[in-house]
Amino acid sequence: MKRLLLIVLMSSTLVSVLFAAGAQEEAASEGPVTIQLGISTREVGAAMPELLKSFEAANPNIKVEWNKVPGVPNDQHTLYVTNMMAQSEQPDVMAVDVVWPGEFIANGWAEPLNEYFSDSDLEGYLDGMMNSVTLDGKAYGVPLYTNAIHFFYRKDLLDKYGLEKPDTWEELIESAMFITEKEQNPDLNGYISMWAQIEGLFMNYLQFMWGAGGQFFDTKGNPSVNTPEAVKALETMVDMIYKYNVAPESILTYKPNDAMALFRQGRAVFMVVQDFVWPMLNEADSPVKGKVVMDRVPYFEGHSDANTVCMGGWILTLNPYSEHKAEAAELIRHLTSTESGIVLGTKSGCMPAVKGMEENAELISAYPIAETLYKDFSVGDVRPSAQAGKNYPELSHIMQKEIHAALLQKKSPAQAMADAQKALDELLQ
Amino acid sequence: MKKTLYYLMIIALMIIFFFPVVWIFLTSLKTTGEIYAWPPTFIPENPVIDNYRTVFLESNLGLYIGNTLIIAVFSTFLVILLASLAGYGIARIQFKGASIFLVFFLAMSMFPQLSVAPSLFLWLRQIKLINKFLGLILVYTGLFTPIAVWILSTYFKTIPMDVEESAKIDGCSSLRILFQILIPLALPGMAAAALIVAIFVWNEFLLSLIILSKDTLRTATVGIALYPGEYAFPWELITTATFLAVLPLVFVLFFFQKNIIGGLTAGAVKS
Amino acid sequence: MNEIARRKMFGLFLVLPAFLFVFLVLFLPAANTIIKSFTEFSPMNLQQNDFVGLKNYQKIFGNEEFMDSFFNTLHFAGVSVFFELILGLVLALILNKALAFRGVIRTAILFPWVLPTALNAIIWRWLFNTDFGFFNSFMKSFGLISRNINWLGEVSLAMNSMIWVAVWKTSSFIALILLTGLQSINDELYEAASIDGASGFQKIKSITLPLLIPSILLALLFRSMDALRSFELPFALTQGGPGGATQTLSLFGYRQFFQFLKFDQGAAVSVVQFLFILVLGLIYIRVLKGERDT
Repeated sequence: MKRLLLIVLMSSTLVSVLFAAGAQEEAASEGPVTIQLGISTREVGAAMPELLKSFEAANPNIKVEWNKVPGVPNDQHTLYVTNMMAQSEQPDVMAVDVVWPGEFIANGWAEPLNEYFSDSDLEGYLDGMMNSVTLDGKAYGVPLYTNAIHFFYRKDLLDKYGLEKPDTWEELIESAMFITEKEQNPDLNGYISMWAQIEGLFMNYLQFMWGAGGQFFDTKGNPSVNTPEAVKALETMVDMIYKYNVAPESILTYKPNDAMALFRQGRAVFMVVQDFVWPMLNEADSPVKGKVVMDRVPYFEGHSDANTVCMGGWILTLNPYSEHKAEAAELIRHLTSTESGIVLGTKSGCMPAVKGMEENAELISAYPIAETLYKDFSVGDVRPSAQAGKNYPELSHIMQKEIHAALLQKKSPAQAMADAQKALDELLQ
Repeated sequence: MKKTLYYLMIIALMIIFFFPVVWIFLTSLKTTGEIYAWPPTFIPENPVIDNYRTVFLESNLGLYIGNTLIIAVFSTFLVILLASLAGYGIARIQFKGASIFLVFFLAMSMFPQLSVAPSLFLWLRQIKLINKFLGLILVYTGLFTPIAVWILSTYFKTIPMDVEESAKIDGCSSLRILFQILIPLALPGMAAAALIVAIFVWNEFLLSLIILSKDTLRTATVGIALYPGEYAFPWELITTATFLAVLPLVFVLFFFQKNIIGGLTAGAVKS
Repeated sequence: MNEIARRKMFGLFLVLPAFLFVFLVLFLPAANTIIKSFTEFSPMNLQQNDFVGLKNYQKIFGNEEFMDSFFNTLHFAGVSVFFELILGLVLALILNKALAFRGVIRTAILFPWVLPTALNAIIWRWLFNTDFGFFNSFMKSFGLISRNINWLGEVSLAMNSMIWVAVWKTSSFIALILLTGLQSINDELYEAASIDGASGFQKIKSITLPLLIPSILLALLFRSMDALRSFELPFALTQGGPGGATQTLSLFGYRQFFQFLKFDQGAAVSVVQFLFILVLGLIYIRVLKGERDT
């Protein structure tokens, strides 16, 4: 019996210890206010400590606890939505992917910021990014930084055969076929990108579609993917794999990093992925260091005016269940300021979504490639997430599914787009 | 001849089963440049231990492994405690409804876990156990008790009834019989069940991800699985961390495999 | 109260703590999920329950993706559990023998089971990579293949690749359960058979397998339950691609729950999945009981 008593006693002590474990936040109820910032270390990891330090120095009454949320967007989304559905007061400030605000706004998970930011403040940010967080004249977030999908090419290989940088998809396919044929290297691919069934596939597809003169939503606001432009875009992607053999079949399993690895090994002439790969391609031991040029994404012949750069980025939103909204808004203001933007750009290569940054000498001189990035953003567009609102995740899933079906030749491109149109009409009716 | 063939088969199977592990280990010794080299190398050309340094000094791996250990130890302890009592009750006391309990436990362990996650999150928040180890420990205890009850109830059935009868004649109380006579006899079975539960805990991903949402509280599996987002697919760090995170379990396996296999053997489906 | 009644009360008392835990952690949330599957869900108010009858079930059964996931799950579970059983049996027979380096061999064989699926899948995704994965470059360097195999990118191949990863990981778990059965077989039976002049294979067929059937059924029960709910493997290995070829019911359910926030339909998926596993489990138990009684 004694032993039993001992066990009970022991376990109750342990339970009380465990209750305490990880319970630091309750302690700090007096003195400075602590707010929690949810942002991953992905991309902004290097700049964040400095930014938080300068914020705390300027605001001695506010402490910031940085919750390094998952950098994998899917996991991050899962984490946020579980917290928001449970009306959790933390994180006070959340960094969300540019395509999530529609869903957050519709569910009441983002606080309008007009009380804390004046209209002229808000006008200082890039319009495309602001559109994704604005509904009925209210702004529900402020863009922290923006990025995009770019076109990377091997300058050395083009020079070798006296070829110019391809501006159009037609030229790209032709050059890719020519170079791979001349090089006689079975390991060399003409074109590589991220065509696995992921969000990046939809971004990629949109670039083809815009480049053919198409738009996802028509002027009446209805989805329009069963159009000649939309089908042509998909047909070209299919043909790049099976007809012209410029893209390997394995492209259908590739995520950005896989494409980067292949390109870094010197095994692809052209690549289309996000700008975050740039530093990795230019590392000291990279076989393609100094041979790569980054530029805007091609368009189809006759559509030189099309915006073909699909933009992404991250938005800071304010948790409506937060207990320290004013302080949290202050943090958002600090992180999205021009000064912070320069730190983000130079330390982490994340381009602030502030207007006029392309002419900011401090940023450009510290991070020269920024000039190219902003030039590409100027022909950029965002995904149709604002119009789709909370239906965006499913809209994107439908598109990914149908595009992939066509790329796997399970359906004709026309059939895939007809099916996508039907599913989208049903979803958005 | 036959013997040689037999040993060859064992060696082939060993290679198949152990190859990825060797590969994980060898990769952990490569530089980033070699990781992305084409064609890939198997044995590192210039083995380095930098990855181990990086993982220890710059990532939270030590913390993650510590978190996992705390959670695994306590949830396994609770599961085995509850399941031993229940397993004994079901197996050796023929009370009405004992088999209904057994079916209840089995049925509950069949429910898709991810569908209970949202409700669990909401309730844990109401009792302020989100971002607390205790929250996850309680969840794991409930989650893995059913399978442990199954294993232990079959184990208790194999212990001869006369052990208990003679103790009863000596005038021991029921609780005392359980704790002083039966539990020691059942220790091998409990050890085996404990290992299975601990491995399930080590394996679990989704609940750990959402219930411990702060980066410093993450368990090893979640922490390492989230490296890709953090450092744009650092294969060398993932393999290094994976290797280090499973090392404790491999040691446990190596030193206790006899007991574990013996433990399951004596019990389980013999009856 | 008489002695017997008191003892029965004691039995009930012992089961109660475990029951309570399972009731709180699994039963109540499961009941909540079942209720939600008959209601219309709003992420803004979790408490609200507007009953809509079978609408969610109609919706998922009308969704071809659900049906595909259902059959994918059956395919995955059926084939992987079958091969796991065969390989597990071979492993168990080996582990059962007294060998040199027995400790090392046992540890090596049990290792894959210890490696968490979420990490396992990341590693295998890399090994399987078509253009710079180890398998293709290894086979190419030995001239076994001339063209890279698209392990995870070809519809017909991706499922098999995923099944292989599952077999690799869990055969050892099955071996562990079978081993418990093997070691409880009395050696005298084998000796008697040897005297009668039975070969090794004959002994396995006529002694080992029949006596092992309860263990086999138990292993099948545990593994089928798990395989039919497989989530982390497709989630980390293929994300259900290519073209949905490896999307399992759990992954489909996960999307409804956490990506589209359609808890009502996600709950319906889970309930269908649960009922399917429950029926299968009850059949196993029936057979298991029958085996034990004879």
